[in-house]
Amino acid sequence: MSHGYKGVQWNPFKKRFDLWMLAGIGLYLGVFIGASAFAQPPGEAFTPVQILIRATGTLAFLLLTFVLCIGPLARLTDRFKPFLYNRRHVGVTTFLIALIHAGLVTLWYHGFSATDPLVSLLVSNPRYDNLAGFPFESLGLAALIVLFLMAATSHDYWNTNLGPGFWKALHMGVYLAYALLVAHIALGAIQAEKHPLYVWLLCAASFTVIGLHVLTGVASLRPADRAAALDGWLKVARVEDMQDARARIIRPANAEAIAVFRQGQIISAVSNVCRHQGGPLGEGKIVDGCITCPWHGFQYRLEDGRSPPPYTEKIATYATRILDGVVYVNQEANPPGTPQAPSLIGDSA
Amino acid sequence: MKRAHRKIHLLLWLVLGPLMALTLVLALHHRPAEPVNDTLPEALSKAAG
Repeated sequence: MSHGYKGVQWNPFKKRFDLWMLAGIGLYLGVFIGASAFAQPPGEAFTPVQILIRATGTLAFLLLTFVLCIGPLARLTDRFKPFLYNRRHVGVTTFLIALIHAGLVTLWYHGFSATDPLVSLLVSNPRYDNLAGFPFESLGLAALIVLFLMAATSHDYWNTNLGPGFWKALHMGVYLAYALLVAHIALGAIQAEKHPLYVWLLCAASFTVIGLHVLTGVASLRPADRAAALDGWLKVARVEDMQDARARIIRPANAEAIAVFRQGQIISAVSNVCRHQGGPLGEGKIVDGCITCPWHGFQYRLEDGRSPPPYTEKIATYATRILDGVVYVNQEANPPGTPQAPSLIGDSA
Repeated sequence: MKRAHRKIHLLLWLVLGPLMALTLVLALHHRPAEPVNDTLPEALSKAAG
């Protein structure tokens, strides 16, 4: 949160996640290299460097595919929330693996001439008008530059100094990086690849990412989600339908969404937008008495929308009421950090 | 995510999605029947047999 910065934000859960991730990466590389070395197609003899280039290239693409699937999947099922919480580390790891891939390619294919390897990479194939022989390396380099910008600005220092809105807009560049990578592979490795597995893998990954993002994007904006107000009060749900320590998200017309939480016998409402990176607070849960954002664990108190000391973030609070066992929330937001008395379930009419 | 960002997010995918699909279709359509190593000069390829 905003009280000071750390180089890498680790806690025991993140450390365990990172260890599992590194073990998975090691296993993938081991299996890929082993299988490639022992099952080479007749007439082909790949060098260890070429195998490593393929292994790191496929791994970086699969990791980025996974990173881009985490957001939509976490909206569909809570099982992906832990991945959402650790997504930043997976993203930076993806960039590092892509960088190794790019370094190996540049040195192996362009490092043995008098020309500078990077210059050679960019000018040795000028056939930009030919789809079959397209210089796909430039697409990969462009994607790598975007991934570098994402990784370099992934720290909270940049989020705070650039502002959450600008930071979020900047990090949507990862979608452009993915599109560039798909083109890089389709016009590069796929053109020379005999095995159909690579084609199927590329198509399946691409259409999964596109499908998930379009589906969840349409669902989050559909008119049915817009709550109609009666005298400024929006219907939330029946008390018995509200899960303890969880929220219902209400989307008023022409206003930001509201997260209405139940904690035991009390009902409280706050803005659904986290101050950190705009994460959906209503998709989080109450941990240690505080609303906890599912994206990076930022916390807010139910009673006033303020982060517990020493942190200083504040979000808007909303009035709630319970009538005939139905929870309502007032669509008028209180200024961020304003104390708001909760509704008590036992007191309902 | 703020509503404005959700809209931009969807708009981006409505643009990028078809572009990615088109790239895949064109790339697969233009794929050579027999993969060739055209980074080598033709004379050198022939000499190598």
